[in-house]
Amino acid sequence: MSVLLQQLANGLVQGALIALIALGYTMVYGIIQLINFAHGEVFMVSSYGGLATFTLLPDDIKKTPAVALPLMFLGGILVAIVVAVIMERFAYRPLRNAPRLAPLITALGVSVFLQEAVRVWYPNATANLPYPKVFPEGNFTLGPISVQWTGVLLVVLSVGLSIVLQTYINKSRMGRAMRATAQDPDTAKLMGVNPDRVIVLTFIIGAALAGVAGIMFGGYLNNINIDMGFQTGIFAFTAAVLGGVGSIRGAVIGAFIIGLIKTLAGQYMPGGTQYDYVWIFVVLILVLVFRPQGLFGEPERVRA
Amino acid sequence: MSDRKPSALAPLGRPFAALGGVLGIVAALLPWVTFKLNDGNWPDKSTLQFFDAPFAVTGFRWHVLLLGVLILVAAFAPTPSKGRVVRALGWGLTAVSLINAIYITVKGGGLAAITALDGEFAFGSIVGLVGGVLAILAGYGIGIEPVGVWKFKLSTPVAYVVLLASFAAVLYAVAALLTTGGVGSSNPYAGAIFLSFLGFAGGVLGALSGVGYVRWISVLSEQHRVFSVIVLLVCALALPFTDAGNEYWMTVAANIGIYAATAIGLNIVVGLAGLLDLGYVAFMGIGALVAANFSGAAAAKIGITLPFPVAAVISAVIAGLFGAVVGSPTLRVRGDYLAIVTLAFGEIFTRSAQNNIGGLTNGSNAIPGIPPLSLFGAEFNKSLSLGAVKLPAGVLYYVLIVLLVAAVMTVFANLKFSRIGRAWIAIREDEDAARAMGIRTGKMKILAFLIGAMLAGLAGAVFAHKNGTVSYESFKFLESVTLLAAVILGGMGSIPGAVLGAALLFVLPEKLRDFEDYRLMIFGLALILIMRFRPVGLIPDAHRRAEMIERADENAEEAHVEAKKA
Repeated sequence: MSVLLQQLANGLVQGALIALIALGYTMVYGIIQLINFAHGEVFMVSSYGGLATFTLLPDDIKKTPAVALPLMFLGGILVAIVVAVIMERFAYRPLRNAPRLAPLITALGVSVFLQEAVRVWYPNATANLPYPKVFPEGNFTLGPISVQWTGVLLVVLSVGLSIVLQTYINKSRMGRAMRATAQDPDTAKLMGVNPDRVIVLTFIIGAALAGVAGIMFGGYLNNINIDMGFQTGIFAFTAAVLGGVGSIRGAVIGAFIIGLIKTLAGQYMPGGTQYDYVWIFVVLILVLVFRPQGLFGEPERVRA
Repeated sequence: MSDRKPSALAPLGRPFAALGGVLGIVAALLPWVTFKLNDGNWPDKSTLQFFDAPFAVTGFRWHVLLLGVLILVAAFAPTPSKGRVVRALGWGLTAVSLINAIYITVKGGGLAAITALDGEFAFGSIVGLVGGVLAILAGYGIGIEPVGVWKFKLSTPVAYVVLLASFAAVLYAVAALLTTGGVGSSNPYAGAIFLSFLGFAGGVLGALSGVGYVRWISVLSEQHRVFSVIVLLVCALALPFTDAGNEYWMTVAANIGIYAATAIGLNIVVGLAGLLDLGYVAFMGIGALVAANFSGAAAAKIGITLPFPVAAVISAVIAGLFGAVVGSPTLRVRGDYLAIVTLAFGEIFTRSAQNNIGGLTNGSNAIPGIPPLSLFGAEFNKSLSLGAVKLPAGVLYYVLIVLLVAAVMTVFANLKFSRIGRAWIAIREDEDAARAMGIRTGKMKILAFLIGAMLAGLAGAVFAHKNGTVSYESFKFLESVTLLAAVILGGMGSIPGAVLGAALLFVLPEKLRDFEDYRLMIFGLALILIMRFRPVGLIPDAHRRAEMIERADENAEEAHVEAKKA
């Protein structure tokens, strides 16, 4: 029983991480119907960006986590946003009217490029890099459950940010423009919405969330590597599809379900953690085949 | 599209072309490097201190000279679509000059090496570069006309001679492309030599294509298909007798062949039926693992040893069955989502193989010690004597794989022009319309996956025996992306395209050891650039080409209308 509770808690933390990335997938897909494969790499790049920021800090600041940690977040998020904006401008925007296959392949290209760029240019990137210990240490304990404080922070950040995002999209002027563009870009244009601005903003929001996830990933697991983007990215994409692509609430709930499947399957299914990855893909395939609109999506629902 | 404004460069077209050509010739006769670099003097006596005979041009200087002369000829002789030809040759000249300049500066020369040092001058690369850029501008000035169509008819024997000569030239070019710069690291400047040859060959090929020759030859070979196929096959089998006939290049060529066969299989799924498959290499992996398990290797779990042909058929069938399973979601899933389903299957395969599922894959230890094939006592990995001619080791594998590629091509071509192929193309264009026309789309889509997977399984079986070891590492996501890139780079739905794409993607890494570290990065960048600038691929399928260009026109028209509205 206590194992089950512990695994449920672990699953929630994993889900919180996946949710932050899944939001980026779901928003971009909702607006331009592009599976942005490179989004997982944006997450990875931001993690390295945060690490680089920390390395560049003077020694006395390194020792005061209260200053170093926000600066790392800032650095990581900034790197993620810059990468995402460049990628939107030079890789995706020219292909907006191309056949559907073209941007998907471009996204694969961007993904390979980003991963390799970090591998070649970041010092020692081929090894697992340790993440600085500037995060709150120790564990949060509740009965039989024990979770790192970073894990708790991750869940709080993830849920909080998705509520903020949901409110922004539903209430603000720009959010309305985003929903309008998702529904019908041409009509939105006639109503005075600049679709280019909306799309760039979507990429920026997605990248910022991935940036938060990138730093928290390092804090939670204590080390990072260049493969983390692809794997976690696929989980996040699965979560977005599971929840219904285009739906914010769906992406978050889907992410928590994926996190739970991962830890519970690793604990209870034959093959253990070696096959947890496989079960997620099995779920992905089953969802796509039997409920392609996802759990919370409707075939023609209003997206964003 | 037709009412394009005349370019501001128009009056400068010819003078620029003339100047570009002359500069090209001058560049060929100039020294290119002022001093000897650390790794030795620059090839073809272009280092100043070894520059004893300026008019004895060889290697890349000969190519530069040739490009210069060709630009002059194209500018003043009556040439069809002159602008295109001059532009292509200009790009060739630019590429050769730029590649040499970059290599010289990077290989320890610095900028002084290609300009002046201690009162010594070596401006070859800069003069060549200026000439090349001028020629490109001249091309735009003269105007980029559509490629001409050659209409004159030939009697059959003459056509045969023309085809024979053209394919022989292709064979020569392929052999030269493989051998330029030598094997691996024997020459410190191998990368530069190879790339500048590639630039030259690309420029000339572009010019030939601009002038309409390439299209003419392809029409001609279409008219005499049986003859062309035989000649091509003979040319391919003649490769071991050329300069490329050593063990190293036989191995590389055989590997290219295996991936080319797989790429053609993928082309059925992606190019014909329009179903994006991101986990395709898994079928090759399944084929390889099945063949390995029946090969009698010590690490194989199944103790039965089957003769290769039987094992190969079983591999293909099992891979095909998996293909049908993977394809079955196509009944309900479309487009991007289907791509994700195939990706998921690919990842499930990799994970399961890595974890040694059922003891069949031997996990990360791989299955080593798969015996090489043999026929009438001749082992395929040994060298072979044909009377007086001694052929390099691995030549039998090369022959087997050429035959495999030929067989796969035949399957592809026959399918493409059959009822099934037309059904696939109809599904690719518009699935609902295809269904309305009475095509059983579900059955057809699963069939595409099944046949594609069978071809990959067959290629995998050959792969297992040729390499002697099978590991899941060879069949990961990146390999699927590389195969997909080969298909797209060559041109979707086109057979020569898939072969060319596979050849480029698997020969370039062999040649560019200097860029070992940057290989994948360049690959990613190349994917982005191809999609941006030439989404139809290098050798587009005629049908597909028409469709893409039509679409581009439609989009342009829409934009035009919108602009008018505003």
